[in-house]
Amino acid sequence: MPPLARRLFAIYAILAITVFAFPGGLTSWLDDRNRTGWLDAPLAAMRAVDAASAAIGVKAVGERLRTQFRSAIGDDED
Amino acid sequence: MLFPTIDFGLFFAFALWLVWSLNSRNLLKKWVLLALSLAFYASWDWRFLLLLFASGAISYLVGLRVGQEAGARRPWRKAVLALGIALDLGILGYFKYLDFFIAQALTLAHAFGLNPPLEFVSVTLPVAISFLTFHAISYIVDVYRGRLRASRSPLDILLYISFFPHLVAGPIVRAHEFLPQLASPRRAEDFGLSENMLLILGGLFKKMVIANYLAVQFVDPVFTDPTQVSRFDLVMAVYAYAIQIYADFSAYTDIAIGVAALLGYRFPQNFNQPYRALGPGDFWRRWHMTLSTWLRDYLYIPLGGNRHGALMTVRNLMLTMVLGGLWHGANWTFLIWGTLHGVALVVDHAYRHSAFCARFGRTRPAMALDWFVTLQLVCVGWLFFRSPSLDVATQYLAGIWTDNGAASTMPGVVWPLLAAGVFTHIIPPDSRLRLGEWLDARGLSAQIGFGAVAMYVIIVMAPSASAPFIYFQF
Repeated sequence: MPPLARRLFAIYAILAITVFAFPGGLTSWLDDRNRTGWLDAPLAAMRAVDAASAAIGVKAVGERLRTQFRSAIGDDED
Repeated sequence: MLFPTIDFGLFFAFALWLVWSLNSRNLLKKWVLLALSLAFYASWDWRFLLLLFASGAISYLVGLRVGQEAGARRPWRKAVLALGIALDLGILGYFKYLDFFIAQALTLAHAFGLNPPLEFVSVTLPVAISFLTFHAISYIVDVYRGRLRASRSPLDILLYISFFPHLVAGPIVRAHEFLPQLASPRRAEDFGLSENMLLILGGLFKKMVIANYLAVQFVDPVFTDPTQVSRFDLVMAVYAYAIQIYADFSAYTDIAIGVAALLGYRFPQNFNQPYRALGPGDFWRRWHMTLSTWLRDYLYIPLGGNRHGALMTVRNLMLTMVLGGLWHGANWTFLIWGTLHGVALVVDHAYRHSAFCARFGRTRPAMALDWFVTLQLVCVGWLFFRSPSLDVATQYLAGIWTDNGAASTMPGVVWPLLAAGVFTHIIPPDSRLRLGEWLDARGLSAQIGFGAVAMYVIIVMAPSASAPFIYFQF
């Protein structure tokens, strides 16, 4: 693979894995901005990713770790 | 659009693909980079764009007029340069300082029983206005000095001033460093992927974890009402703020440098383990290095530097640091912060030139004392810098001086956060480079694996919302 393609592949792969591990943030972000329906397609795609992440348990692990960490650090008020 | 947000993540993901896909068509790529930068700036308030255009137009026109091209006659060069600087500073002064000076004038007038018809202008302070001014002035002065040829391209000038990675809080990139990079397509292989990925991930960790938690859990509550806090907590909050501001500001510039590098542009280093400094002079060679060198090159040296005897050196150091303090904001606390550093630099300058320093300065006890005294002095400075007003700073100092008997309420989490801040100062400075090379040598899967795990850890540890970067207000 050429150096530029390798670089872009690595960056987008990291971003994609992050979104898959924590799909809730991007889904909410899209939902908040979809007042007129212009983000219906990406929102539907993100909901599918969210469902896939939840189905194999990745989403739940991330959420549980976040809750545990914030509880340990004393930042679980919200 | 803050760096550690989904907004910026999406913006960057889009920009990265777009910019590299246009790399072979350099002119189009520059237009796209400009459009992205303008969109980035307009995300705060589209009206601020007028400021960018004004600053770019002044720089472009003044640059053409003050350039030293061979054989070209340029009468009134100095006057045009002075006009350009005055316009840049005038814009800065109007938005940032006018209300402060009106308030001082009214206070003074009222003390003499006068009531002048002065009214506050009450304008919104545009994001990044100070950094815009620094970039604009550095360009026209460098052109005037012949360090760089005046650019014939308004696009290049506007892109130099508005390039989104450095636009809001630096680092301050000199025109002679940046403009040549716009001349031709960039080569991705000139920038190590892992090294810059580590820079961005390290910046996200410093901001999202260290700075955010220190601020919310400890520093902000203490500075809100220092009269209710124990002496121990007051002292610890100053050290905690020292770590917080370092983690916050160095995070911003680390992310900016990393993002620019992933787009193919090189920015200068801005921090080098500043709390390891041996002396105030050394501190300013390690802290916000691009501001220090800017102040040195465009203020201290033009004032005469150290070329006209001891008294003039003292004056120039004091003026530079007081103005550097005021640059941070129109508040007496910043003025005192700058003055404190000015006095420290004057004393440091005298000490470095003393026979005592020549004889004992490099011994271990002297260096340990140097480090200790410098750190305390910097932290006292941060007390003023962080205090919202002179009254609060005075209450804070009084609380440290007189124990109010309150028990410590410092959360236990502050200790590991402080330790993390200390860790960033004791690791070898080249460790990021070495780890980056190690990852690069291990290939794509190692890079992706490391990056994904690091992002995972950061998101697990990050609070639900990130506070703005401290230097956004400047």
